[in-house]
Amino acid sequence: MRRFIISLIAALAVVLAVGGAVMAGSGGSSRVTRARLERSLPTVFAHVYTSQAKLLGHQGVTPESLHPTAMCDKGGAVEADVGPGSNWNCLVSWSDPDNPMPPEGYGKIELNVHSNGCYTAAAPSKLVGFLTLTDTAGRVVTNPVAEFDACFDPHGDNTSTGVEFPSLLAITTTALRPDGQSHVSVQVTCGTGSGGCHGSVTAAAGSTTLGTVPIDVDEEQTGTLAFPTPVPDGTAEVVFTATLTDGVGPAKPVTLPMPA
Amino acid sequence: MSATVDDRPEVHAALAATRGQAGLAAALRWETRKLRAQLRSRALLLGALLAPIAVVVVVSAQSRPPKDTLFGRFATENGFAMALLVLGFASQWLLPLVTAVVAGDIFASEDQHGTWKTVLTRSVSRSRLFWAKVLVALGFGLVALVVLAAATIATSALVVGRQPLTGLSGQVVEPHSALLLVAAAWATMVPPLVAFTCVALLFSVWSRNAAVGIAGPVVLGMVMQLVGGLGGIEAVRPLLLTTPFEAWHGLLASPRFTGPLLEGCTTSLVWSVVSLATAFLVLRHRDITGG
Repeated sequence: MRRFIISLIAALAVVLAVGGAVMAGSGGSSRVTRARLERSLPTVFAHVYTSQAKLLGHQGVTPESLHPTAMCDKGGAVEADVGPGSNWNCLVSWSDPDNPMPPEGYGKIELNVHSNGCYTAAAPSKLVGFLTLTDTAGRVVTNPVAEFDACFDPHGDNTSTGVEFPSLLAITTTALRPDGQSHVSVQVTCGTGSGGCHGSVTAAAGSTTLGTVPIDVDEEQTGTLAFPTPVPDGTAEVVFTATLTDGVGPAKPVTLPMPA
Repeated sequence: MSATVDDRPEVHAALAATRGQAGLAAALRWETRKLRAQLRSRALLLGALLAPIAVVVVVSAQSRPPKDTLFGRFATENGFAMALLVLGFASQWLLPLVTAVVAGDIFASEDQHGTWKTVLTRSVSRSRLFWAKVLVALGFGLVALVVLAAATIATSALVVGRQPLTGLSGQVVEPHSALLLVAAAWATMVPPLVAFTCVALLFSVWSRNAAVGIAGPVVLGMVMQLVGGLGGIEAVRPLLLTTPFEAWHGLLASPRFTGPLLEGCTTSLVWSVVSLATAFLVLRHRDITGG
């Protein structure tokens, strides 16, 4: 028995050594890559979206008519786009005349990708609806697009697809809190996309300009913009206008009320 | 054997050949008979038949489908998805155990009962006995798999139904092809199951202990399952014996892909050959006269 245990430990050591050697040789590379996801997700999305159209009775939607494209990113600017994880985000654009894309031109699908090449995708409800839907026969059924499972070929084409979408800049502050000298600041987030968010934001209180502050935020990061000019007394609201060279800003200027 | 003595060499050769075949056949018969007499193996086959029925009935009665597993999303409303859900679970946790129950015990039981000397003094050689035990263990594993697969697919189709299946590329698969694909997916369990059987045989020969023979492959399977699921060390995945258990995913995708399946066959073959060869050498060089 003791001899067996010694042999077993020796065998395990050999296995670990071989495994380590293989890993060192291949650099620990993963078969879960951005390019494979960018090829797999549009195909799967086209299929499930067509199933949904059939349930809803929408005519003329086929996997071919949607022309979906995707750009995938893992963990924003700070992480390499490779390997399994629950922090993959894919921006997917498709053409359905009855359901146009939002101004930024895409919807964000969140993926949880496993090491075996299978993933679970959750699509945004503002574009594809909620977990259940009512079909043409009046039954409440599972919405095939809201959440779906898929697997991609771990040996599939791994050359870059070249699909890129700009990040979406959003001003997340909902209530201004001026400091002692009546300076205001706002929080901004830069969504998934390529190149991050660069440009400037101008704040105006009535006819008074509070200043123009440059934005330099990477994708999937947040930033705080502080404006140099104090807000004049008696101002009711402040208007923020974003001008971006990289990324897409809010379609309309954001108006925030000053606290009374 | 015959009344007249025939001295021609080809007759001698023919006689030896028939005796040789009879030797392996006889050993096979004995091993099968021993297996049939074992309560454990009969209970396992019965379990492989009844457990899927219970699982399918219980899962299909859930109000919320088990969405965290592949095909779980549709398992309560689609029989084919149910059969694939059970396949995913069985391949992860069950199949190594099912085959190890017999394969892990088949050599070690001779040690436990001290019967090596008895069986080897019968006119059967050590290698012939080895191959007979290997074949019986492999046969049992395959029979258990077939029973498990048939029970699962039949119960799922009858209890949940035969609706069109949503595949792993979101494509809709018609019931007829879905049935074939589900059966094919179950069939892809054969290579890793054979490999796990060989590993269990090795544990059985090496440890001379049935408990180690049965638990060893099961623990090994669980460790490989965990290692294979970790991020960052995926380069070892093709070497693991649990990866071929997931190769069926490619069959349910559109377009179909078979790369993992071929890779899995190679991996299983290497594990099988290495395990069997080691087991054979260990048994061959063992001093059995001591008991």
